[in-house]
Amino acid sequence: MPAETAQNIEALASQAQTLMSVFTKAGYDAVAPSIIQPADVFLDVIGESLRARTYVFTDQDGAELCLRPDITVPTCRLHLERYADFPATPARYCYNGPAFRYQPQGATASHPREFRQAGIERFGDHAREAAEAETVSIVVKAIEKVGLKEWTVRLGDLGLFSSVLDAAGVSPNWKKRLDDAFLKPLSFRDALKAFASGARVASTGIPEELLASLQRDDWEKSEAAVAVYLEENAIELLGTRTLSDITEHLIVIAEDRQEKPLDARAIELIARYVEVSGPATTAGDRIASLLKGAANGAGIALETYDRRLALLANAGVDLERVTFSAEFGRTLAYYSGLVFEVNSACLDAKSPIANGGRYDGLMRAAGANIEVPAVGAAIHSERLLAATLKGAQ
Amino acid sequence: MSKLTLAIPSKGRLMEQTTDMFARAGLVVRKVGHVRGYRGEIDGLPGVDVAYVSSGEIAAALKAGSVHLGITGEDLIRESISDATTRIRFLQKLGFGFADVIVAVPTCWVDVATVQDLEEIALPFRQLHGRWPRVATKYGNLTRRFFANKGFGDYRIIESAGATEGAPAAGTAELIVDITTTGETLRANGLKILDDGVILKSQANLCASNAAAWTPELEKICSELAAKLSQSVPEKKPSRS
Repeated sequence: MPAETAQNIEALASQAQTLMSVFTKAGYDAVAPSIIQPADVFLDVIGESLRARTYVFTDQDGAELCLRPDITVPTCRLHLERYADFPATPARYCYNGPAFRYQPQGATASHPREFRQAGIERFGDHAREAAEAETVSIVVKAIEKVGLKEWTVRLGDLGLFSSVLDAAGVSPNWKKRLDDAFLKPLSFRDALKAFASGARVASTGIPEELLASLQRDDWEKSEAAVAVYLEENAIELLGTRTLSDITEHLIVIAEDRQEKPLDARAIELIARYVEVSGPATTAGDRIASLLKGAANGAGIALETYDRRLALLANAGVDLERVTFSAEFGRTLAYYSGLVFEVNSACLDAKSPIANGGRYDGLMRAAGANIEVPAVGAAIHSERLLAATLKGAQ
Repeated sequence: MSKLTLAIPSKGRLMEQTTDMFARAGLVVRKVGHVRGYRGEIDGLPGVDVAYVSSGEIAAALKAGSVHLGITGEDLIRESISDATTRIRFLQKLGFGFADVIVAVPTCWVDVATVQDLEEIALPFRQLHGRWPRVATKYGNLTRRFFANKGFGDYRIIESAGATEGAPAAGTAELIVDITTTGETLRANGLKILDDGVILKSQANLCASNAAAWTPELEKICSELAAKLSQSVPEKKPSRS
């Protein structure tokens, strides 16, 4: 739906007013971060893939800037300007304004290149599940207030995966590898399969005899061995990475080779966990039964999950409309824990009306000196309007 | 009757090789008007208008549809047109202009042989040096797509206008994505290609624009031209060392 018609501008403005009134009544301060943002923070947090979806440009002074692809990062920056010395100062913000995304397949009604986001962000709150449940419930309240009656919420939880690993009793090294692998849906199943035989697929390009001669507890000798290898093979040391950088990684590789394969029961548990998907309440039961036989018991993994659901129900969210999917959220840029999206039967599943979640690492990436708990959500205004109009027919 | 517009490289080796190939196919390309002009025609194919275009701009002309056909490297097409397969038809590989688009890292990185290894060193590198590894390239789009398909995102692209191979030694980037034919320049600059680092094996192609205005007559001339050129494509491509 192009926003560039008078009728839509009025409809969107009135919708935004309703949304903002729900947010401000709930105690969120209205802010309006800059539309033009330094590209650096986005590139650092989201990575180079951002450039493929964002209008990045260079100004006359050579500074790399972008049209904000979302308003979450700009809100973090705004918070940091206000509380540079104490970034963990609790604060709640809401906003409504345009965001911009390049659409490689061409802009469409459901994927426009310029769209309006209305959202909330909450920083510095240590009552984690309560803050998360409130975020979801405020978003649901806001879209209901606008007039959308048909909605569903899908939950995911990146932290739960880590907790499942703890429950399975995998070593810290394995945990790190699995956490990394989990974020790559395309190769996760293959990686899991490979882990049954070892931590690392033998890479033919790395000199075996050199690997065999390295030991972490004799660092000097190891570094010397790498230097000798380079010299004997007439390889010049060039570039930013130092001999020590290279030695360190070689030792990590050598240690990986020594590592015992991942326990078969842990692999089984992880494979089954990843498949969990369905109504949020029964998904919880399913995870509980999976964890029953786990090495370390269910632990805190499920407590968090159950507490969050209970808080959601208390806040008035109908749990019948809430589903959980263990796979959901893996490819979303900066989330670190809970992730959620709100869908409407009036739109296709690939066009969620709202999405959000926990992103504890973002404030630090944006320049804070410490990690700041953060949770938030944004509503896609054009989609909400389209769904509401369709739902009213 | 409107003519078929064919864009061919306006200078350099690509232009010479294009002219040679046309000659082998019995087609003589002649400049029209001033010797330094940018229009030409082909003896025996009166329906074809030749436009001499700088090789970097042929992809853009094909994308916009301002020419029907163009001769240029697949690397340049795929770099500048993200949905190349829907906008462009690759009619004929021409057997010259061979170039592999590759990922290369310093040879002294004995701990890095694959993209997976690159991914592993990205975070420690950032912790030690305060930034993600930088990739010098003029193939930003190909690089992003290639790494995205492998699930690698922790790097920054540094636009490189020329002498990309020198960037790691100069300290302006940690690794490069560039074209190579024999690998000689890479070796001279202390670089090696990753085991899974070949992004694209490119060569000159006769390409048709889907955005141009086509008529049955123009299609016919196009087929005629493609058929003649196909007969003069060398049998085997030279092997890469």
